[in-house]
Amino acid sequence: MPGFLKEFLNRNGTGMGLAILGLVLFWTIGLIILPQLSMLDFSFRPNLPPPEIGGPKDVYTLENYRYLVFGPEGGSQDYNTVDLRVFFRTLVAAVCVTIFNLILCYPIAYYLGQTKGNHIRIFAIMLIIPYWINEILRAFALRIIFGETGVLNTMLVGMGVWDTPFDFIRNDIALYAGLGYAYILLMIFPMYNVIESLDKNQIEAARDLGAPWWRIHWRVVIPYAKPGISSGCTMVFMLSAGALAAPQILGGPSSLWFTQLIYQQFNDNNDWPQGAAYAIVLLVTCILFVLAVMRLFKVNMGDIGK
Amino acid sequence: MNNSFLRISIWVYLAIFFAYLLGPLVIMSVTAFNSSGFPRMSPWECLTFQWFGELFQDQRILNGIKNSLIIGAGTVVLSVAMGLAGALLLTQIWPKLRATYYTIIIAPILIPGVVLGISTLVFWDRINRMLGLGADSFLSNGIFLTVIGQSTFIASYCMLVLVARLQRYDIALTEAALDLGATHAQAFRKIMLPFMRPAIASAAVLAFLASFENYNTTTFTFGEYPTLTIELAQKVRYGITPAISALAFIIVALTVFFALLNEAKLKRQELVAAARKQATVEELAGKIRLPSFFAGNMAAVLLVMFAVATITVVGTATAYNPAQCIADVREQKQLEAETRIQKLRQLREERRKQREAEEAEQGDVQSTPKPSNNSGFGNVFAPNALDGDDGDGASDAENPPSNNGGSGGVFDPNSLQGDQ
Repeated sequence: MPGFLKEFLNRNGTGMGLAILGLVLFWTIGLIILPQLSMLDFSFRPNLPPPEIGGPKDVYTLENYRYLVFGPEGGSQDYNTVDLRVFFRTLVAAVCVTIFNLILCYPIAYYLGQTKGNHIRIFAIMLIIPYWINEILRAFALRIIFGETGVLNTMLVGMGVWDTPFDFIRNDIALYAGLGYAYILLMIFPMYNVIESLDKNQIEAARDLGAPWWRIHWRVVIPYAKPGISSGCTMVFMLSAGALAAPQILGGPSSLWFTQLIYQQFNDNNDWPQGAAYAIVLLVTCILFVLAVMRLFKVNMGDIGK
Repeated sequence: MNNSFLRISIWVYLAIFFAYLLGPLVIMSVTAFNSSGFPRMSPWECLTFQWFGELFQDQRILNGIKNSLIIGAGTVVLSVAMGLAGALLLTQIWPKLRATYYTIIIAPILIPGVVLGISTLVFWDRINRMLGLGADSFLSNGIFLTVIGQSTFIASYCMLVLVARLQRYDIALTEAALDLGATHAQAFRKIMLPFMRPAIASAAVLAFLASFENYNTTTFTFGEYPTLTIELAQKVRYGITPAISALAFIIVALTVFFALLNEAKLKRQELVAAARKQATVEELAGKIRLPSFFAGNMAAVLLVMFAVATITVVGTATAYNPAQCIADVREQKQLEAETRIQKLRQLREERRKQREAEEAEQGDVQSTPKPSNNSGFGNVFAPNALDGDDGDGASDAENPPSNNGGSGGVFDPNSLQGDQ
């Protein structure tokens, strides 16, 4: 390693090389690795007032994780059903949002990637503009639409589809629509990048050989676009499982998102170690889930983010 | 036949998709001009600009914008610097370490923002304690924590943008500069940076936008310096007003404006390059006739149209006074409420008569109820007419929340009893 270091400093000059190394080390170790480790360590500690930290009571404990599974000590139930249900509901809903987005965006990505012309650039601008608008405002826009006296209800009641306004917010439809809406671009762009590089001759060859359109997609386009699809799906899944703004604004009063539980532990209960434990559980579960799905579909980690 | 069907279905799909994508923004922008106290499009009451005035008088929003700008500037500097260093190291790192290194610096994009916020908060709190500093030290300052927390993942975005350009950089250029006696710092400043400038500019814009709209990380780290996004979230969660729509309209308008401006500039560069390519030698020697700004540049045309529309709107806003209209609407609402009260009173009267009739029937079988309530409305409640409480609930639900002044006497249960 010192040899590598010396060569690196030689190539970039000592001053520049040290500056690069310093910044990268600060970023990777100071901002990425150590905070995560610190949070992991924190999640194994009891919730103590500041003077007692480092004192005799400050020992490692599994209490915070036990709480997630079994609930408070001496509670009436065997398991912490409330929190566990929220947790699984979050994961299932995030999967559903991802699949919905994939189905919605694949035709668009294919169309944009395979068509040439001036209008494609206009479409690209139209795609990017919503992404530049604040996340909160996007959720707010959907709340105006899905509210009890919102545009959609007024329209549907006016058309006579329903007699009374349908509560989209309480039924979580607004939440799913909002999550899907928030991450459309993250699904389209990786797929678009890959599909754009697909040689049109491959599609034409398949067509000449008599393949129907669905088989062209199934056997030619989708296998080729797999890295793009998987990175899009990974990003949408991770971000919607970790979303906080959309559930807070669009979620019904009774249905919580797991990140909201974490938020409550930090801000309302003031129980940081408990919140850190929940965050660790969320992070680890999401990563394991993504890795398992990627193995199932035989995708490499290195393809993500390209 | 089959082909045209396919084409039509593609366009229909595109229309639906973009309606889903842009519709909410359009509707939100329109609600900013409706005088209704709750952001809604229908019923349309009056065209008004009062919400913009209210927005600019909101001290919390203005303060939030100030904090957002400070934090955004800090984040841009830190994350572009770290992203550039990360990208430079990525192109030179020992191949065996490369995959690990790449995974580490790309991971913050995938880690949920909530987790990043918590880990930043917990880690710096611990450092703060280890150094024996108080709760008001620099390290637990909201601005510092937010910049650090946001830069963790925004630097990854910057790195991706920068590495794409860096891959096209010819390292021989730096080597030539070094051979000619430049120091490493000079070679970096005079050769590498000018080459990287476009990518650095787009990384900076991206970083600023990402910082400006970030919520998940900031919500844990902001401390006493709430950003605009945090203030918006508080407002949206605890009661929404069209003033938020007004802010959204401004942001949408600015975004569209800059997107069009950028597109028009790019298109113009393209057109100029094309004109240069086609120009003859004499034209190149003399002055080439550049295409005019609008020729074949749809984005530029749209840009001008957009600017004109904005100026018109602002012009109307200063001259327009919706007071008359608002007064009309209020009057109309009052009238509606009165007719509704009248109706309810009538309904009650009919119900009372019916009940009396039925009581009479119970007492004396021969007298039949009078078929007096032919309004159609009374019949709906007829089965419940005996149950007085139920009827009250239903009529209260009919009553819109706006007219709870003046009508209270009518709904007082005692008024019914008094009649009897």
